[in-house]
Amino acid sequence: MIVRADKLGFAYRPDRFAVRRLSFELYRGEVFGLLGRNGAGKTTTVRLLTTLLPPTEGGGTLFGKELRACGRAERARIGVVLQSESLDFVSVEENLRLYAFLWGVGRETAKARAEEMLELFELGPMRKRKPWGLSGGERRRFQVARELMHDMELLFLDEPTVGLDALTRSRVLDYLAARARQGLSIVFTTHILHEADRLCQRIGVMHEGHLLTVGAPSEIKRTYSSARTVEVEFQRALTTPEQEELRLLFTRRGEGLGTVERRGDLFVVRSRNPEELIAEVVRWAHANGAGLQRIALSESTLEDAFVQLVSRPVDTPLLPAGEGP
Amino acid sequence: MTLPPVLRLVVRNFRASIDPITLLVMFGQPAFLIVILGTMFSQLIPSVGASGSYIAYLVPGIIASQMITGAILAGRIFWLDRRWSMVEQIFSGPFRRSEYLAALLLTTLLFALVGVGLMALVALPLAGLPRLSGVELLVILGTIALGATFFGGLLVALGARIRSANLYFTIQSLLQYFIVFLSTVYYPVTAKTPTILKVVVYLNPLTYAANTVRDAFTNSFGPSDLTAGAVLAGLALITFTLAALSFRRLDFGPVQ
Repeated sequence: MIVRADKLGFAYRPDRFAVRRLSFELYRGEVFGLLGRNGAGKTTTVRLLTTLLPPTEGGGTLFGKELRACGRAERARIGVVLQSESLDFVSVEENLRLYAFLWGVGRETAKARAEEMLELFELGPMRKRKPWGLSGGERRRFQVARELMHDMELLFLDEPTVGLDALTRSRVLDYLAARARQGLSIVFTTHILHEADRLCQRIGVMHEGHLLTVGAPSEIKRTYSSARTVEVEFQRALTTPEQEELRLLFTRRGEGLGTVERRGDLFVVRSRNPEELIAEVVRWAHANGAGLQRIALSESTLEDAFVQLVSRPVDTPLLPAGEGP
Repeated sequence: MTLPPVLRLVVRNFRASIDPITLLVMFGQPAFLIVILGTMFSQLIPSVGASGSYIAYLVPGIIASQMITGAILAGRIFWLDRRWSMVEQIFSGPFRRSEYLAALLLTTLLFALVGVGLMALVALPLAGLPRLSGVELLVILGTIALGATFFGGLLVALGARIRSANLYFTIQSLLQYFIVFLSTVYYPVTAKTPTILKVVVYLNPLTYAANTVRDAFTNSFGPSDLTAGAVLAGLALITFTLAALSFRRLDFGPVQ
């Protein structure tokens, strides 16, 4: 186990907790995503786990050592891409090499790795420029590249893809996934939920300092996504009584979600049990001689699950991910 | 071979945080004062106490004030490191906070010593070469090291508490001017000096440092220099402790 948080918490003042009773584990080669709205406590969690802040309640371990007792030796095994921009007042290339020097990376290794990072993150053309003169996305790329100049076993990425264009984001995520496959453990915070869905083996959803749930993205979607969308289209126009009958069916099978919607001849409904709804609709269509033109079921998204999770009061009991209703 | 963490941080401070323009201003200003004030006031002031000529009085004062130059540069490095999140980045890396502080103070000392060397070079053609014994040279360097630790610690402790660049640099400038001008760097305290000014000047650590360096230049060490050294050491210890304490609970939130 690389990281263990055990009822970990931090309060800036006795009455103002930023993180409360946080418990989760991270294993070797795992990518763990921390999702949450602004101010949910993600950055404070990263600061606690990187030993920048001392826990004010609970505890945890980093590489098996109690967080409060961790020091230079443990921090030498981690990398951190901060949410805020961090840079030195030298060129991009010099920044990379200087950072490697700080970490005790040998000159030749640093030189070779700098070239690799400049190419990988498409920073070559701006190697002689000062980082504060770069665009927001370029600065973010630079920051991730710089952190990868040294060896590590655990990488904390605090919103690393903010400001990156879609192509670059995809490349960065692919690279991180490849590093994880080689054994690098990653803690990844983001607002961009489909990134977490793509990269993370497990996800923790934070809200108001609490970790609401932890699980695989698929489990979280299955457990907490309130409903999936079913689209139904008939071969002929329905009569008014038929439409009303169908509306009643949708409302019943849509479990009162009130999301029955009609777009022209297309009926759209969100349901917690879409498979049953589809079966009912097929039966109804057959019984009423209204042939089905098309019926489609959309997958639930992590965004649905996230919205459901963070919309409920913090003290509402939650099921473990995977044990959905 | 990998350098120890403190030295890696010192190298980084020199390579990354100081630009040539800043160095030119920081070291150019006192050098300019030696040349201009030394030349112009020497014509007006026939002699000053045991130093003899005004320039002979001024040079040790300016050399002592290099402790402020070093401290200001260290304070600037720390402030910029906070502003650009390098403090947070370094603290989350393979360094102890005490090592970062030690590196800052070592950087202060090195800058102060570079300043001493530069001022001595500038003064050489104007004031000649003082005859210093090894002990006197060591006392000068030790005094400047203690003074630089005092001011460096003070500025780092202030920088750790203040979240606004405007406020930090305003306080730093005010401190610099009050400390330099309310000391014996440019002029001596005489019987005619108003009592209130005398009190303020003798509360200023730079006065003790300037007087000690001056006594070394005139080969006239006395018990007052020992007292001055002890006072400077005590003050350096206090501000160093303050800076260390401020690092223990450093707020990593945004500064502007």
